[in-house]
Amino acid sequence: MFKQITNLNGDERYLIFSLLMFLAFFIIVGIMLFRMKKDYAEQMSQMPLEEDNEINKMDTENL
Amino acid sequence: MQIEKFSYDNKIVRNFGIATLVWGITGMTVGLLAAIQLFWPFMNFETQYTTFGRIRPIHTNGVIFAFVGNAIFMSVYYSMQRLLKARMYSDFLSKVHFWGWQSIIVASIITLAMGFTSSHEYAEMEWPIDIAVVVVWVIFGINMFGTIIKRRERHMYVAIWFYIATFVTVAVLYIVNSVQLPVSGWKSYYIYAGVQDALVQWWYGHNAVAFFLTTPFLGMMYYFLPKMANRPIYSYKLSILHFWSLIFIYIWAGPHHLLYTALPEWVQNLGVVFSIMLIAPSWGGMINGLLTLRGAWDKVRSEPMLKFMVVALTCYGMATFEGPMLALKQVNAIAHFTDWIVAHVHVGALGWNGFMVFGILYWLIPRIYNTTLYSKKLSSIHFWLGTLGILFYAIPLYWAAVVQGLMWKEFTPEGTLKYGNFLTTVLQILPMYMMRAVGGALYLSGVIIMAFNLVKTMKQGKLIANEYAEAMSLEPTIVKERGIHRRLERKPVLFMVLALIAILIGGMVEMMPTFMISSNVPTIASVKPYTPLEIQGRDIYIREGCMGCHTQMIRPFRSETARYGEYSKAGEYVYDYTYLWGSKRTGPDLHRIGQKYPNKWHYDHMLDPTITSPGSIMPAYPWLLTQDLDYASTPGKIRALTILGVPYTTDYADKSIEEARRQADLIVKDLEANQVKTDSDKEIIALIAYLQRLGTDIKVNADTK
Repeated sequence: MFKQITNLNGDERYLIFSLLMFLAFFIIVGIMLFRMKKDYAEQMSQMPLEEDNEINKMDTENL
Repeated sequence: MQIEKFSYDNKIVRNFGIATLVWGITGMTVGLLAAIQLFWPFMNFETQYTTFGRIRPIHTNGVIFAFVGNAIFMSVYYSMQRLLKARMYSDFLSKVHFWGWQSIIVASIITLAMGFTSSHEYAEMEWPIDIAVVVVWVIFGINMFGTIIKRRERHMYVAIWFYIATFVTVAVLYIVNSVQLPVSGWKSYYIYAGVQDALVQWWYGHNAVAFFLTTPFLGMMYYFLPKMANRPIYSYKLSILHFWSLIFIYIWAGPHHLLYTALPEWVQNLGVVFSIMLIAPSWGGMINGLLTLRGAWDKVRSEPMLKFMVVALTCYGMATFEGPMLALKQVNAIAHFTDWIVAHVHVGALGWNGFMVFGILYWLIPRIYNTTLYSKKLSSIHFWLGTLGILFYAIPLYWAAVVQGLMWKEFTPEGTLKYGNFLTTVLQILPMYMMRAVGGALYLSGVIIMAFNLVKTMKQGKLIANEYAEAMSLEPTIVKERGIHRRLERKPVLFMVLALIAILIGGMVEMMPTFMISSNVPTIASVKPYTPLEIQGRDIYIREGCMGCHTQMIRPFRSETARYGEYSKAGEYVYDYTYLWGSKRTGPDLHRIGQKYPNKWHYDHMLDPTITSPGSIMPAYPWLLTQDLDYASTPGKIRALTILGVPYTTDYADKSIEEARRQADLIVKDLEANQVKTDSDKEIIALIAYLQRLGTDIKVNADTK
């Protein structure tokens, strides 16, 4: 399987460059996640559950 | 800070919901008709408007842009208002968006049935419709960003990021893929040719799956699944990681649609590597979704909408594992051009997209009508019909693919092809095609039951057109937030720019060298531009959608060169505006069909394929024998191709009609010598001219510069 990506007559540079770019990108996102506070992540994950209440079921025409 | 009172616009959500139902049933019915035609060709009613080549793009575009598209807008308009605690930016823009999109769908159905097609898969609509799509998409974007800007929630939830990425990427993909030079009101040529056109098309085609059928659905999952399960998402951090990885990686994977073709090998390999890597972020999303149901699995037993969501996520997991496996060259060598690809696509479309839309509709419609679902039992029946439908659809096609893929490659001990007649391999899989149609019918019947159930639900409730809501006003930020991503989540424009950069990198690395370094597409001295009559014949080939069933790409395998002839070279396609490599072999490859059969064979074959190939499932094209060729359009076409770079002489356009007639007369004379009476004005003559030219340039003199 790996022959597909090793014998490229010099075109390996495209692969290596692309993979390095992704690795750098991945590390940056990883650092951001590492620095993220747990309580903030929890607060954000609750967001879709916040808005349900009885008043929402009313049409403004009925108010 | 003060509490502000406002309302959510549910009417636009309802409208998109109804459109989803209507176009879902329409698109799937056309798909079922196409599936039946593959074993009963006469089901095209022998009219050109309902023949397979023309209704296939109606089905694909209808299901993708009409059914799924309307479902996306329904879900985005519902969830975005609530996540941002704001009504949509402009009711007027919402209406223009809704009616604009429906008009585009109607115009697409009519024009595709009439044969106005650009041939690029999933973007077949001609240039006036392309412009309309871009305008309506921009209107959607303005409405979306206007809502984000006037929001009352400081941070954007993960669903909104997926919507932003969808908006910006689809805009880039659609515009780049649709750059065409108009020849007339409903005819144009892409500015790209051959290999480059193929790369652009599959960069678009693959990422249409990524950014129209995946990212918006992940956004919808992140909003609706927690609502249905009444549980927060399993991991917010995982959602960040898989969001950025997914949008970065997805854009690179398009070339896996072109393995073993004339595309430069380094591009193919990039596509393979990034396709394998794609498993990780895709499964990150699936796992995050399934684990959101932790502690709520008891609800899955009793709530059909959650059953739909679980099967949707499972199908997503299956399809996103299967896709990278199909991108491995060894697997691709057998599976590509077979029904495996059709099965793979439908596991994603029927399972992931369809089932998620159904789950959301069952949850959403009762809510905006302030009522309960009319019948849970009917929705349960729908679930089982749909699930059986997917199984009956996919399994026979996997079977058919393996059978046919192996038959294509089997040799006798003497070294000749065991199944040299392509038709033998088609007839072998007809029972599987029949079972596939049964699967489609089961799935469609479930959707019709759902439509009945939802209409009854609407009737028993009353639409809350303007749903009351209140929220604190948003004050300007004074304290600088510490987390980088946290700051990013309140800056929509910066977020959009970063998402744009992430998706542009892959596209640029793959496309710029292919376009700018000439060694990537070696030219062949003996390859000459098409003659005017061949151009006309090629346009008929495109109009009838022949590339839906026939490829023009012989891969460098012994089994293919023994069957079709010399393998295809990149330099053979430099004058192919647009490329016609195709993606599926329901019929044989045609790249070396030129001069293989006499003109009369082609004439008879188009009149009734069973004359020359008994048992053939190819439709007949009798109208080509009676319809007059539009010779007057020839100079305009030649001028357009000259502008695009085809080396015709300066006065060639002026004498192109005369040239075309001269070539047509030769074909007519040859047909007459074989007892066929026709005249040079008929469309069949141009099509024969084109087919007889295919692949002949390098047979004569293979001189590579």
